[in-house]
Amino acid sequence: MQKTQAHFFDGLTAGRHEVHVALSDDRMALVITGSTLTAPLRWPLMDLRALGDTADTARLTLTCKAETEDEAPRDPARLVVLDPALITWMHRTRPNLFKADVHRGTWKKLATYTGGALLAAGLMLFVILPAMANSLARIIPIEREVALGKTVTAQMERFLGGSRLGALRCDDPAGEAALQKMLARLTGPKDMNYEVALQVYDHGMVNAFAAPGGQVVILRGLLDMASGPDAVAGVLAHEIGHVESRDATRQALRAAGSAGLLTMVLGDFTGGAGIAVLGEHMISSAYTRDAEAAADLFALSMLDEAGVDAEGFASFFYALDDMGGIGLPAYLNSHPVTNTRAEQARSFAQGQTNTAPILDTQEWQALQNICR
Amino acid sequence: MDSDQDIINIEYSGEQGPLFQLTFKTGLLSLITLGIYRFWQKTRIRKYIWSSVSLDGDTLEYTGTGIEKLLGFLVAIVFLAVYVGLIQMALFYAGINVMVNPETASPQEVITQTAALYITFLAILPFLLFAIYRARRYKMARTRLRGIRFGMEKGAWGYVLRALGYGLLSAVTLGILTPLSTFKLEKYMADRSYFGSARLQQQGKWTALYPAFKHVLIGLGILIASAALIALAATGGSDGLAILGGIGAFVGYIWILIGSVYYSVRSFGYLTSNKVLGDEIGFVAAPRTGAVIKTYILGGLLLSLLVSVAFGIVGILATAFVPLLSGTPSTATLVVMGGLLGIGYLVALVLVQALSMILITQPILAHYISTVTVQSASALNRIAQREAETGVDAEGFADALDIGGAI
Repeated sequence: MQKTQAHFFDGLTAGRHEVHVALSDDRMALVITGSTLTAPLRWPLMDLRALGDTADTARLTLTCKAETEDEAPRDPARLVVLDPALITWMHRTRPNLFKADVHRGTWKKLATYTGGALLAAGLMLFVILPAMANSLARIIPIEREVALGKTVTAQMERFLGGSRLGALRCDDPAGEAALQKMLARLTGPKDMNYEVALQVYDHGMVNAFAAPGGQVVILRGLLDMASGPDAVAGVLAHEIGHVESRDATRQALRAAGSAGLLTMVLGDFTGGAGIAVLGEHMISSAYTRDAEAAADLFALSMLDEAGVDAEGFASFFYALDDMGGIGLPAYLNSHPVTNTRAEQARSFAQGQTNTAPILDTQEWQALQNICR
Repeated sequence: MDSDQDIINIEYSGEQGPLFQLTFKTGLLSLITLGIYRFWQKTRIRKYIWSSVSLDGDTLEYTGTGIEKLLGFLVAIVFLAVYVGLIQMALFYAGINVMVNPETASPQEVITQTAALYITFLAILPFLLFAIYRARRYKMARTRLRGIRFGMEKGAWGYVLRALGYGLLSAVTLGILTPLSTFKLEKYMADRSYFGSARLQQQGKWTALYPAFKHVLIGLGILIASAALIALAATGGSDGLAILGGIGAFVGYIWILIGSVYYSVRSFGYLTSNKVLGDEIGFVAAPRTGAVIKTYILGGLLLSLLVSVAFGIVGILATAFVPLLSGTPSTATLVVMGGLLGIGYLVALVLVQALSMILITQPILAHYISTVTVQSASALNRIAQREAETGVDAEGFADALDIGGAI
């Protein structure tokens, strides 16, 4: 390469030095000389680095790899080359020109910080928030819980397409009477903490849910699909189990804490918000396995005390299982069915004696027609 | 020294093609890496934009790194995870305690409840302001000209207190004291800024921003008058009054919108023209509102046209798959289809990001920058280097709270 002119900034003052650049005699370094420099500078070729992603391709700004206090290990001095021949020569002969160097210890630091951040987020999501949700759910006054539950069911109704409050609510008097009879028979023998408020919404989804404070909603799709009143009673007893153990309240509190956190971790990346919502949904849609198992046990004992055959509950699980695959009913999303659960209900049913159907044929028909 | 030759025009030379390529490519990389590459994306885009700005042939340099941004983000996450998680749950609990039965609630009770739910935002607000100062300080610390570092002193909490105070003042005066807030906050940041050894100073006074604010005030006046007309019509006036009020409200709204752009352009001009570096170097900035609004409108139109084409293509690709759905599709088909659609949608979003960068962000930036001139520029030569600053959290709080903006 030929000796050529360049601008030089020494990294000490903002003044510009007009310099000459040439290859050293041993061809191992660039030598920078100039009348305003106190002494010629020697930059080893292997340590040369250039600024990347710059707009002007006719300009190459060189610097030198060096251990400094800076954000990257770079000498603060800059050499601005405008000579096309030298720029081409640099690109051709210096494969490490745009290499990104990092300070020693950076990777270890990155591993430590990542571990710390994951630990903190995990601790919050899976330990601290659930624990706080538990204690808050215990101290919240019941009438507040009822108000929260009504807000939640109102939102759910809007989400399912109800244009106004109560638009989806089914209120055929005969069906309503059958529903209340079922509820009374189930809760009669029990000492209940909550007064259960039961409604049916006119929606085809096979689902039922318990909101905080004793609000239980059954969707019409579940009534259509159920083999008989005992199956509905089983599902109802299960939801009452969630009500009595305050699962929904706990869940709502926990979701409130996790939502903000997840949105933040996934950041401003396009679509990140969508992923966050998805993640939040995955966390909040299903109760914990323990809560499900407890609600099952509660349901079975409730059915037993009311003298209702648990076989209906078992058959509901089996029917859901058969429907698996594409038409996956929504009920499964919030209540994952395992064979164990179905078998548990069936074997419980086999030990039962003195059972009677919870509704007679006429009442069951009325219940199925509650939305007409 | 006193000749015309001691004035330098700042120039912007960035082009559309390379910046689009860079933004789109790095956007796809961010997509593939589930967002982790976004710190490097931001770094590389800034390197391009900074290097497009030149004074007398010398370009700015951005020295920030992707890895320090990632580290800073992780630090911020540890802190915010704990804070946000706890505060959200506590506020939600407080929200429940004012929660009312939707069937029997009075409007007043509903308002209390809604307000309680929005308090979450107020709890985060101090950190948003904190992040704004830290992000600017980080950008300053990672900018160099002629090998000399820019920099900014610590002072984020002081900024938070002032921003909250002045913000409250503007709010209770219906925005009339906004210029006070703009000026004092900019002065707080500018007076703590350096180029090498030279300190920047914000001179001028806040009342001088009112000429720039006039269109917002006019719009505000029209809105208030229209509201009065509508109120009058409601208490027994004619329908004509109500219609007039409606039209007035619309006009007032548009007036405020354009007035805000006018204000941001003019106040930038005033504030920049009244900055002094190292007691002798001055600046003159004369950005034009017309040019900025033109870019917003033309760029916005072109952007929405190109965006509808991009999403249209995703839609057409989606309909091409519809025949596969006839009969009973297998779960696998559905999953693959949903996945492809999702990816198409995300790629289209990355495209939008890249297009808005070259159609709106860059042209407006270019306009602002190229109207600035530096006076007594030869004094720049006497400025000496300042110490390197290695911040622990870079702009991690801004990244975590998603207030980074376009660049």
